Amino acid sequence: MARQFSVKRLPGFSTIAMICFIGLYMPIVTLVVYAFNAGTSIAVWEGFSLRWFYSAWNNTQVVDASIRSLQIAFCAAIVATVVATMAAIATTRTAQYRGLTFKYAFINLPLLVPEIVTAVALLIFFSQIKVYTGYSGLGYLIAAHAAFCIPFAYLPIRARLESMDLTLERAAADLYATPFQAFRYVTLPLLWPGILAGMILGFVISLDDVVITEFVKSGGQDTLPTYMLGQLRRVVTPEMNAISTVFLLLSFAIVTIFFFLSRNEKTS
Amino acid sequence: MQNIVKDFGHFRAVNDVTLKIASNEFFTLLGPSGCGKTTLLRMIAGFEMPTKGSILLDGAGIASLPPNQRPINTVFQNYALFPHMTVADNIGFGLKMLGRPKAEIEKTVADMIRLVRLDGREKNLVTQLSGGQQQRVALARALAPQPKVLLLDEPLSALDLKLRKSMQIELKRLQMETGITFVFVTHDQEEALTMSDRIAVMSEGQVRQIGSPWEIYDRPAERFVADFIGETNFLTAEVVSVSGDRARVRLASGAEIPASFPANTTPSGKVTVVVRPEHARAAPVSGASVLRGTIHDIVYLGTDTHLHVVLEDGTPFMVRQQNARSGPCGYDKGETLGIELSDDVAQILRD
Repeated sequence: MARQFSVKRLPGFSTIAMICFIGLYMPIVTLVVYAFNAGTSIAVWEGFSLRWFYSAWNNTQVVDASIRSLQIAFCAAIVATVVATMAAIATTRTAQYRGLTFKYAFINLPLLVPEIVTAVALLIFFSQIKVYTGYSGLGYLIAAHAAFCIPFAYLPIRARLESMDLTLERAAADLYATPFQAFRYVTLPLLWPGILAGMILGFVISLDDVVITEFVKSGGQDTLPTYMLGQLRRVVTPEMNAISTVFLLLSFAIVTIFFFLSRNEKTS
Repeated sequence: MQNIVKDFGHFRAVNDVTLKIASNEFFTLLGPSGCGKTTLLRMIAGFEMPTKGSILLDGAGIASLPPNQRPINTVFQNYALFPHMTVADNIGFGLKMLGRPKAEIEKTVADMIRLVRLDGREKNLVTQLSGGQQQRVALARALAPQPKVLLLDEPLSALDLKLRKSMQIELKRLQMETGITFVFVTHDQEEALTMSDRIAVMSEGQVRQIGSPWEIYDRPAERFVADFIGETNFLTAEVVSVSGDRARVRLASGAEIPASFPANTTPSGKVTVVVRPEHARAAPVSGASVLRGTIHDIVYLGTDTHLHVVLEDGTPFMVRQQNARSGPCGYDKGETLGIELSDDVAQILRD
């Protein structure tokens, strides 16, 4: 009997796998552990304590930056998802024509443009608008984040639309639904998991952004990542670890919620 | 439908089709895949626009209306049920889109559920149903808004044989009970013969013959129709005389038999005559034998036995004999026998 080939039997497989896992997760584990350090060092363990979580909670700068981050991520994700949904419908619910592939590429191009280039471009662009309008609120950051979130939101929505049975929309039209009703009662409910995935992806990407935010933000508009970057230049305390840990938990929570939502979708 | 033409690029899918379908009729478009029958159906539904020609419903042109403005519903080949809705919501969808009051929708849905025998399934998601049940939801959904015409696009092809047979009877019953005009598309000749009031046989984008199942089967107008539906024997013959709607033809064996011919033609000279295998009888050679031949092969099929005979001039000829008694048919390979024909069973083909 020929046994099925398994990569597990190759020499050194488990060793390499272990090294990779340690490389991936050890730094994160360390970070989380030292968030609970009682001392002021991020390298010397002095006992268990929640003081840095309290400290972060009472640090108004941290709280402000967190709220700002969430505001921006929320608004940007919604704007990006709406635009991405429209783009995905426009590019999938149409007859094949020359230039359609080009259009796909055009929508996804921002993924390939180096972030620093986008950042500089937006800085210059927005500063000109600022001069004309005098407006210097969070709108710029939201617009910038929405812009780079669009391709991330677009991909899952388009994938969902492409796997959907076109005859369903036809059936809706056959049963007297206007194009809008067909979208509202048939396409949208079936597209929902894709839209949700796109929105969550956009939200997480926006929450995480440093480079573009750093360039575009005006004074006093620090998001959590840029605030942390600023702090790291000075004194590093386990407060950073505590903030990061909360951040990590938040990401886990979002991904888990999404996992259960999409699993329910499949089983029903 | 008048002079319908549909082109896809350089390919002409439907070529100059003119059809008149009566109301309350069970009309079938029958043909092999790629013959244009589904394209024709889609143009009636409104998913495709004819390149040329017009479609009239009760005298009003509908060819340029979008599907949602036509009082026509479709049962799709893959059913296309809305997977996120319950059985009741699927069936009520059309009425909801038409803006009917809630009470009316509920009543119609309940009636439809009873009509297609899905009692107790109203609250199920359609994905929890079996293929046959989904099929019936699709039917109920299309019938609920009481369309003037119901289109059925090979709706039985995904079902197994037993279920298909019972759905055929069910469909015919629904058509009688609702009085709605059914336009049915299929490539299954048996399905077409079983259910239809009239059949249009199509090939290569054109209608070859329109007629009742009996006419299509017993009086095929041309070789394609004769060949596509059932099994047939083709014989060459010469027309001796024509009187009224019957002709006398002389077969290669020298025997003269009566034969009918398609309307609006006058047969003359050499023609092709078709005889269905079950209209011929094998018998010892006698004065009643119209043809003579040698048995080439005997195929036992349970209900029938097929005798594959080679006639004197080399033409193959098949006789279908019902196994009225048990046991073998009593003939042997290589045996010479005579073939007798029932009265008035030969049909002359066009051209």
